[in-house]
Amino acid sequence: MNNLKLFKRQTVNELSTFYSFLIGFIIAIIIGSIILLIQDKNPIDTFSLMLRLSVGSIKSLSSSLNKAIPLILAGLGISIINSVKLWNIGAEGQIFLGAIAVNFIYINTQFNSPSFHILVLLLAGFVGGSVCILIPAITKVVFGVNEIITTLLTNYIVFGVTIYLINGPWKDPKSLNFPAAAYVGEEVFLPTIFGKLSFGFLICILFTFLAHYLKNKSVFGFEMRIAGGSAMTAVYAGINAKQKAFIAMLIGGGFAGLAGAIELLSQTHRVSTGISQGFGYTAIIVAAITGMRPFGIFLVGSLFGALSIGGSVIQTIGVSTYIADIIQASTLFGALIIQFFFNYQIKRVDDD
Amino acid sequence: MKKYILEVKNISKSFGNVKALEDVNFYLQKGKIHGLLGENGAGKSSLMNILSGIYQPEKGSIFINDIKQKSLDPESASELGIGMVHQEFRLIESFSIKDNLTLSKANIYKDNFKEAYEKYCEIFSLSVSPEKLIAQLSVGEKQKIEIMKLIFKNSNIMLLDEPTAVLTPQETDQLRISLERLSEEDEKTIVLISHKLKEIRDFTEKVFVMKNGKMVAEDLSTVNVTDDNLVELMMGRIQKSIIDKSNKTGDTKLSVESIEYIDKVSNYKILEDINLEIKAGEILGIAGVSGNGQVELANIISGIESDYSGKIIINNKDVSQKGVKSRKKLNLSYIPENRLGVGLAPGVSVLDNSIVRDYFKTRLGPHLSRSKTETYLESLIKKFSIKAPNSKAEISTLSGGNMQKLLMGRELVSNPEVIIASQPTRGLDVNAVEAIHTLLVDQRDMGSAILLISEDLDELFKLSNRLHVMYEGKIVKSLDIDTADINNVGLAMAGVIE
Repeated sequence: MNNLKLFKRQTVNELSTFYSFLIGFIIAIIIGSIILLIQDKNPIDTFSLMLRLSVGSIKSLSSSLNKAIPLILAGLGISIINSVKLWNIGAEGQIFLGAIAVNFIYINTQFNSPSFHILVLLLAGFVGGSVCILIPAITKVVFGVNEIITTLLTNYIVFGVTIYLINGPWKDPKSLNFPAAAYVGEEVFLPTIFGKLSFGFLICILFTFLAHYLKNKSVFGFEMRIAGGSAMTAVYAGINAKQKAFIAMLIGGGFAGLAGAIELLSQTHRVSTGISQGFGYTAIIVAAITGMRPFGIFLVGSLFGALSIGGSVIQTIGVSTYIADIIQASTLFGALIIQFFFNYQIKRVDDD
Repeated sequence: MKKYILEVKNISKSFGNVKALEDVNFYLQKGKIHGLLGENGAGKSSLMNILSGIYQPEKGSIFINDIKQKSLDPESASELGIGMVHQEFRLIESFSIKDNLTLSKANIYKDNFKEAYEKYCEIFSLSVSPEKLIAQLSVGEKQKIEIMKLIFKNSNIMLLDEPTAVLTPQETDQLRISLERLSEEDEKTIVLISHKLKEIRDFTEKVFVMKNGKMVAEDLSTVNVTDDNLVELMMGRIQKSIIDKSNKTGDTKLSVESIEYIDKVSNYKILEDINLEIKAGEILGIAGVSGNGQVELANIISGIESDYSGKIIINNKDVSQKGVKSRKKLNLSYIPENRLGVGLAPGVSVLDNSIVRDYFKTRLGPHLSRSKTETYLESLIKKFSIKAPNSKAEISTLSGGNMQKLLMGRELVSNPEVIIASQPTRGLDVNAVEAIHTLLVDQRDMGSAILLISEDLDELFKLSNRLHVMYEGKIVKSLDIDTADINNVGLAMAGVIE
C-alpha cells in the first residue's frame, strides 16, 4: 500500500520565512486579482493605482508609514509574548488603554517642558498597555487560564470603557455630540520628521531593535525560549517560567499601549473609537507571517500600512477597501501553507 | 478440545531494528488468573498491544476459542472479548460512571444496568452512585470502574497492565479478592502484568516470564516456582563488571540525611527515611523498578523539589534550603531521566539547549554573547562527538543518542563534583550506551561523586562501587558491589526482603 507521510526536515532554510511570505504575498495578489476580475475591474490598473497612492510620493509614503507604526509596535509586542509560547490577542484593547492612559495623565498633570511632557505621556501609554494585560497575565500565571480567551475578552471590556469615557466623563462639549474626548493641546503633538511622517516612526525603529535584542540577544530572551519550550526544563534549569511569562506579557502589552499613545499624540489627538482601526488584530497577522521576527515585523508592518492606505484610496475608482483586507489575510494563509512545506517533507512510503 | 481460551503461537514483532517480540508463545486457561512477569522493556506491553489489536504481529498466529484469527484490530479484538485496562486510565473524566460504563456499543447491560451495577459494586466493594462524575472519584475507584467497563463490554479476557501500581496495600488486597471472584463466579480469564513478585504469587495460579522480547518461562505454576527462580528468569545471569573498581575515593561529596517526601495531591508518602553518602571517585548505584521514588529523590537532591524534610549536604555545605542554581554553583550536575522535556526543551534550538546549565555563569549583565555560546557548543560537539545538523536546528531533530550526549556533555564539561544520573542509557543503542558508560567512569576517575539511578542491573553492576535498592520509597538494601548477590538485589527490587 502506498502512503504519503510527513517528515520533519532536519534543517530548514534560514530565509524560509521570507520566501514563504513572498510566495504568500504573490498568492494573495492573484486571489485579489481574481476578485477584481469578477467585479469587472482591471487588476493591473487597480494595483498600480494602489501602489502610486500609497508609496508614490513623500506625502503618501509618510501616511503609509504612519499607518505602519501601530501595526509594527503591536506586532513586536505579540512577538515578545510569543517567545514564551503565549498568544496575545488583546493588542487592540492595549492600544485603546494606552491612549486612555495618555489622556488620563494629560488631564491630571502639568509639565513645563513639552518634550518631557511628551516623554511622560508615551511612558503612560506603555504602562496603560501593561495594565491592560495585567489581569490576563495574573490569571495565566496563577490559575493557568488560557490567555487567548482572556486577552481577547479584555478587548471588549476596554472598548466598553472607551465608549463610556467618551460619552460620559471625558465627553467633549465642543464635539457637537460626536462621542469623543477633548483634543489634547498642540504642545504635546508628536513632531513630524518629513512630510506627514510622525516622530513615532523613529520610536518604532528604536523599539524594533529593542525587541530584537530582548528576544534574540539577551539572557531574558533565552530564558523566555526555554520557559516556552518546556516548563519542566525551566524548573530544571532554575528559571522561573511563570515570572518570565508574566514579565513578557507586561512588556508585550506595553508595546501595544505605546502604539496607542503614538496614535493619539500624532494622529487622532483625542480619545475616540478611531484610535485603532483594528490595528491590534492586523498586528497578529503581521507577527504570524514573519514567524515572530522583529525585523520581519517591521518590514511586513510597513507593507501592510501601505496596503491599507492603498486600499482606502482605491474607493475613488469604485473598488471596495476590503480588497486590502483580503490581500492581508490571504498573505497570511499563503505564507503559513508555504512555511509548512519548508518545515515538512512529504514522502511516499511503502507500508505493507 | 478446548483447552485454552486464547492461544498465541510464535509471535514476532519488531520496531525498526529492535526486536520487541521474538517467537513468543502465550496461552490462557478459561477462568484463571495468569501473571505476566518481566522488567520494563521486556516486551509485555507489546504482547498486550498485539492481543488488543493495536499492533499487528509480523509472524505467528493467534487462536481464540480454537479459531484462528486472521488479523486483529482494536474493534475485532474487543468483539472477541479481549479487553485491556491500561496504566493510564481511558475514562472520560467529565462523564458520569454510568455514561462511561454504557458508552460501548457492545454494552450487554442496556436494560438492566441498575442490577448489574449493584452486583459488581458488591464484588468490587464500591459504594458510589452511578451518576457521580469520574473526575470526582479517587484513583482506586477509577480503576474499579475501568475494570467494570470491561465487564460491561462483555470482555471475557481481561488484560490488566500493572493495576496495582497506583494502589495502596489495602486496595491491592481488595483488588485481589475482586479479581478472584470474577474469575470464579463469572469465569473471566485475567492477565495481570506486574514486576512485583509478591503480587504475582498472591494473585495468580500460572505465570509467564518475559525477558528481552522472549518468553523465557511459559505457564509455570506459581505454587511450585521459587522467588529466586523467577528473579533469575526475569533478570538473567549478570556478568560481573569488567571495569576497574580499585580507584581511590576521597572525601564525602554528597550526603543525604533522613529525607522524607509526601506527595501533596495524594497525601501518599513517596520517600521515607532516605540516607546516603557518596565520596569523591565513587559511583553509588540506586537499583529499583521505576516509580519507587527514584525520580523524586533525584529532584530533591538537585533542588527541583523543595517541599521535603531532611538534609542535603553538598561539599560540606548544607543546601537543604537552596534552589537549583545555588546547588549548580556548588558544582552539582543532574542528568534527568526524562531527556526531552526536562533535560532538554523541545521546540528550542540545539544552541539554546546546550547552555541551559551554565548560561547564568557566563552572562554579562542582560547580554548573552552569541559568539561565546557558539564556541561553547562547538567545543561540546567536538569533545563528546555529537552529531547535530547545525546550532539553530531544533533539538528534537537529533537522534536519542546524540541528544543524550549533548545533555551529558553539557552537564559534565565543567567537571562537576557531584553528578546525579537518572536512567542515563534508557532507550539508547549499544554504541551510545557504551559511550555514556565511558563518560561516567572517566568522570568518576576525575574525582566526581556519582549517583547512578537505573533499572538496568547490568549497568548498575558494571559501573557502581556500591548499590542501594529502593522499594516503595525506602532504601531496603545496601550492598558492596564485590559481595553483592544479583538474586538478592532482584528480590529486593521486587519487594522480597528477608
